[in-house]
Amino acid sequence: MAFKAIYQEHYRAILGTVSVLALIFLWELLLTFVIPLNPFFFTKPSLIAVAFQEQVIHGALWNDLAVSSRAFIWGFGLAILFGIPIGAVMGWRRRAEYTLDPFLTALYASPLVALAPLIIVVFGVGLFAKAMLVFLLSVFPFIFNTFAGVRSTDRLLINVVRSFGGHEKDLYLKVIFPSSLPYIVAGARIALGRGLVGIIVGEFYAASEGIGFAISRFGDTYKLPEMFAGILVLMIAAVALTEGMRKLEDILAPWRASQESR
Amino acid sequence: MAPFIQATNITLVFKPKDREPVAALRDFSLEVIRGEFVSIVGPSGCGKSTFLNILLGLLRPDRGEMALNGARITGPSQERAMVFQEFGLLPWRTVLANVELGLELKGMPAAQRAERANNLINLVGLKGFERHYPHELSGGMKQRVGLARALATEPEVLLMDEPFAALDAQTRDSMQAELLQVWEQTKKTVLFVTHSIEEAAYLSDRVIVMTARPGKTKEILKIHLPRPRDYEMRLSPEFNDIKATIWNTLKDELVTGRDDGI
Amino acid sequence: MNRLVNFYHDREHYLLGWGFILILLLAWEAIPRVAVLPRGLSLFFTTPTRVIEAFYQLIVENKIQHHFYVSSVEFLLGLALAIAVGLPLGLITGRSRTIDALVDSYVTVLNATPRLIFLPLFILWFGIGMWSKVMIVFIGAVFPLLINTHEGVKNIDRVLVDVVRSFGANEWQVLKTVALPNSVPYIVVGLRLAIGRAVLGVVVGEFFGASEGLGYMIASAATNYKVDVVFVGVAIFMGLSLILTMLVKNIETRLSRWRPEEIKTF
Repeated sequence: MAFKAIYQEHYRAILGTVSVLALIFLWELLLTFVIPLNPFFFTKPSLIAVAFQEQVIHGALWNDLAVSSRAFIWGFGLAILFGIPIGAVMGWRRRAEYTLDPFLTALYASPLVALAPLIIVVFGVGLFAKAMLVFLLSVFPFIFNTFAGVRSTDRLLINVVRSFGGHEKDLYLKVIFPSSLPYIVAGARIALGRGLVGIIVGEFYAASEGIGFAISRFGDTYKLPEMFAGILVLMIAAVALTEGMRKLEDILAPWRASQESR
Repeated sequence: MAPFIQATNITLVFKPKDREPVAALRDFSLEVIRGEFVSIVGPSGCGKSTFLNILLGLLRPDRGEMALNGARITGPSQERAMVFQEFGLLPWRTVLANVELGLELKGMPAAQRAERANNLINLVGLKGFERHYPHELSGGMKQRVGLARALATEPEVLLMDEPFAALDAQTRDSMQAELLQVWEQTKKTVLFVTHSIEEAAYLSDRVIVMTARPGKTKEILKIHLPRPRDYEMRLSPEFNDIKATIWNTLKDELVTGRDDGI
Repeated sequence: MNRLVNFYHDREHYLLGWGFILILLLAWEAIPRVAVLPRGLSLFFTTPTRVIEAFYQLIVENKIQHHFYVSSVEFLLGLALAIAVGLPLGLITGRSRTIDALVDSYVTVLNATPRLIFLPLFILWFGIGMWSKVMIVFIGAVFPLLINTHEGVKNIDRVLVDVVRSFGANEWQVLKTVALPNSVPYIVVGLRLAIGRAVLGVVVGEFFGASEGLGYMIASAATNYKVDVVFVGVAIFMGLSLILTMLVKNIETRLSRWRPEEIKTF
C-alpha cells in the first residue's frame, strides 16, 4: 500500500517517465522485430544513442551548438537592448504609443521570416545575417510586453512615491521598473521561442555551421540517426532554456500570479 | 495661536475630457491647530479626498491658498505624509524596505534608515514581520505598515484618507484604538477623512462636516470627550448625542448628493 | 484654425499611427530618387511602387495564382488537422489528470522546441510535395491549440461545475453547459496563436525543399535578385496574417465580454 501513497504524491513524474520510457521501448521493439529497417526512412533509439555519443561527446555537434549560440546571443541581446526601451517609451508616453503601435503591431503579426532569403542574399551567410534574423523575430515580444508592463503600473504607487518626494528618476527606478519586471521576463520567454525559430531558419536556408545546418545536412545525406541526435540536442537546449526562463520568472516575480496562454 | 494649517478659499475644478467640468471644491476654507486631530466627513464626491491631495501637494488648486506654518504649499514635501486607503505598499519590497521608502528618497544612509524603520515597526506592533512581503500580510497589518511608513519621515502633518475603509469591522475598531495610541505618543497633527460618523466622533478633537459637491464647510463640531478615549465611551449617551448632531448636519447633504445618480 | 486643432485632437490616435506608416512608405519610395545608391546596394533595392507593379505583372501573367493556391491548401489542410487533433486532445488532457500526466512530457518538450527543426525529417518522409508542408504546419499549429484548450478546460470554476451537477447534470452536460462555454475564449486565443505558427510553417516549409507556393516564389526570386517579387510575397503573407489575426481578435473580444480579467494576448 505504500506504493499507492507514493503514486498519489508523484503521479505526474511517474506517469511522465513511464510514458517516455514506454515509447522508446516500443519504438526499439517495433523497428527491430516488426518493421524492416529501411535506413533511408527509419531509425531506432539504439542507433540514435550511438550517433548521439559519436556526434556530441566526440564530435562536431558541440561546435555547431556553440556557433548557433553565438549568433543567437547577439540577436537576442540586441532585441533586449532595443525592445525594452522602445516598449517603455510607448508605455510611458501616449503619443509614442499612438505613433508606433499600428506599425509595430503589423510587423509583430507578420511572418518576418519571409524576409529571410532576402536578408541572406543581401548580407551573406554567417553570424550577422543569423543574428539579424533572431533580432527581428525576438524584438517584438520585448517591445510589447515591456509596454504592457509599464502601462500596468499602479497609479497609486506612483502617487505614493511622489508624495514622499520622489523625482522622475525615482519613479522609474523604484516603481515602474520593478512593476514591469514580471511582464518583461514573460516577454523574454516568448522572445526566446521566436528567436530559436530565427536561428533555425537562418541555418536551414544557407549556412555552413550551426545546429540547424547540421541537422539539415544529415537529412540531405540520409544520416537519420545523426539527424535525430541533432534534434535531440536542440530539444535539450530548448527545454533547458525555456525551463530556465520559467524559473527566472518565479524568482523575479513571486508576488504575482501570472495567467497567460503559453 | 496662529493656525498651523491654513486653507483659504480653495477652488478646484476637474475638467475631464469629453465631459462637463466638475467643481470638486469651491471656496473651501479650513484652519487646523498644531497637534489637533481633525476629521472631515461629508457625502461622496464632496471633495474631501481632493482636499487632502491638495494638502499633500499632489494636486494644485485653481484658486485659493494652502499654507503650512505660514509657508505656502507648492508640492509634496516630507513634512506632510499620507496614509492611503488602498495601502499603496510596493509589493516587491519587504515591510522594512517599504517603511524605509521616504527615508531612502531623502537620502538617509542605510544604517540610520533601518534603525528608524525598526523603531516604527515596533511602534505599530509589527515586530518580527520586517522581512515579510505585503502579499503575506492581512489588511490591518498592511495599513500598519502604511502608518509606519508615513511616520518614518517624521512629518508635521499626518494625512489619512479613509485609511480603515478597506478593513473589516473588527480590524477597523482595533486599528482606531491603535491609531489613537500612536497619536498620543507622537503628537502629530492629523487630518482624517472618513465616511464613518462614529469613527470621526471617536477619534477627533473636531469634526468638519462638508456640504455636497462642490464642497464647502457646513459645520464644525468640537468633540468634548475626554482623552485618552476608550471603547466604552462609544457606548455612552454623550457619544450618541454627538453622533446624532453630526448626522443631522450631514443628512441633508446626502439627499442633495443623491441627485448625482449614484 | 481652431477647427483644425479640434479635428487633430479627436483623431490624434489614428493620425499619428497611420501617419507614421505613411511617412515611412513615402521615405522608402523617395530614397532612390533622392540619393544615389552605391553600386552594390542598388541591386538589392526596391520601392513600394515597383513592388505594386511587380504584383500587377504577376497577376496578369498568371504566375502568382498557382503559388497562392498551393500555399493556401497547405495552410488550411495543416490547420484543419491541427484543430482536429489539438482540440479533442486538449479537452481530454484538461479533464483527465492521468492522461494529462502521460502526455505532458511530450507536450512540454515539443512546445519548447522550434518545431521547424523537423522540416528535414518531414522532407525525408513526405518528399518535397505538399504533404511535408502540411505536416510542418500541423505540428506548429497543434500545440497552441492543445495547450490553450487544456487551460480552458482546466480553469473551470469548481463552483460552477458543482452548481450544474447539483441540478443533476451528467458528464456530457457538464461539458456542454460549463466546460465548453468557459473554454471558448481560451480556444480562440489558441487559434490565433496557431494561425501565426501555421503561416510560419508554410513560409519556411516552402523555402526549403519545394517547387511551388508563395514561399518558393520568394526564395527563388531572392536568389535571382528580383527583390520586388520578394516583397510581393512578403506583403501577401503580411496582409493575410494581419487579416486573419484581426478577424480572430475580433471574435476574441466579442466572446470575452463576460470575462472580468484579461487573458494576456501576446
